[in-house]
Amino acid sequence: MIGQSIVLAAEGDIPFPPSVEDFFLPAIVPWGEHNSYWFTKFTALVWVSVGILIIFFLLSYRKPQLVPTRKQWIAESIYGFVRNNIAVDMIGHRGVAFAPYFTTLFVFILMNNLWQIIPGVQISPNTHIAFPAILAIISYVMFIWVGIRHHGFAKFMKHSLMPPAPWFMQPLLIPIEIISTFIARPVSLALRLFANLFAGHIILLVFTLGGFVLLNADAFFLKPISVLSWAVSIAITFLEALVIVLQAYIFTVLSASYVQGALADEH
Amino acid sequence: MTGDQTPQPAGGSGPPPESGAGYTALGYLIGGLAVWGFIGWLVDQWLDTGGLATGIGFLLGGAGGVYLVIRRLGTPS
Repeated sequence: MIGQSIVLAAEGDIPFPPSVEDFFLPAIVPWGEHNSYWFTKFTALVWVSVGILIIFFLLSYRKPQLVPTRKQWIAESIYGFVRNNIAVDMIGHRGVAFAPYFTTLFVFILMNNLWQIIPGVQISPNTHIAFPAILAIISYVMFIWVGIRHHGFAKFMKHSLMPPAPWFMQPLLIPIEIISTFIARPVSLALRLFANLFAGHIILLVFTLGGFVLLNADAFFLKPISVLSWAVSIAITFLEALVIVLQAYIFTVLSASYVQGALADEH
Repeated sequence: MTGDQTPQPAGGSGPPPESGAGYTALGYLIGGLAVWGFIGWLVDQWLDTGGLATGIGFLLGGAGGVYLVIRRLGTPS
């Protein structure tokens, strides 16, 4: 991205301010093709993420030892963190059964988010709504499925749609419950992840490209300010590191909270 | 450098069980306004009440959302 920007800066037309168009990159296969979205940088990044995760966890557990090696310790720490501090803490002893799914979800989102700040890549697949949307749909179908299996269909629907309230309040409340449980949950789950990463990438573009715009400015006293702009973009990169971990964590915790709600008995 | 390998006891520094409550409350409040505001707007289109039904819908929806937050999240389980 930066290399591209330098070339453009030399030509004197920097794509500034950044727009949604900056998120639709040319395809890799066929090379450089616009309007072809079957194999782009995002496709490649998702496959690379999956590959890295599979290889890392396979290698870490290939020869498990009682006293773990460093790699095994890292893998066990990640799994232990999600199992104990998310699954069991939120769902209770039944949460252990969901720990593999939550761990997969957590590391997959984390790895995909991480591309946002890795130099030379600096864009995450999750800046496209499609990837968070699919992840949200998986969590959504799972918590409904789990709830129906645990309670039975009628009891699950009654449990999640009929609040503890007098009968004459129900016509007012049930539509609100339908919206907030079955529509707002998956939509907010997907939008939260997508919007955070989208906004993060836009902010990084603004400060990085803004530096070049300032450098090319006609007014001489504006030129040194470009250094400040780049310094801010580096600072924002560190802020993004926090956002990346936090969003992966929130997505997992909220999925766990929905499963917990589906499994909860009447109270 | 293998660090501390004692298994973390459950119930340590994880999120409290009610972690989703904030977003649930937000969902109820916005959902209430959206649903009943929309129903009120539909009634408006139907009976041509000049925005009155939409207003009543928003009021009902807001009240329903607040009521749901109190009933679902107010009493500790």
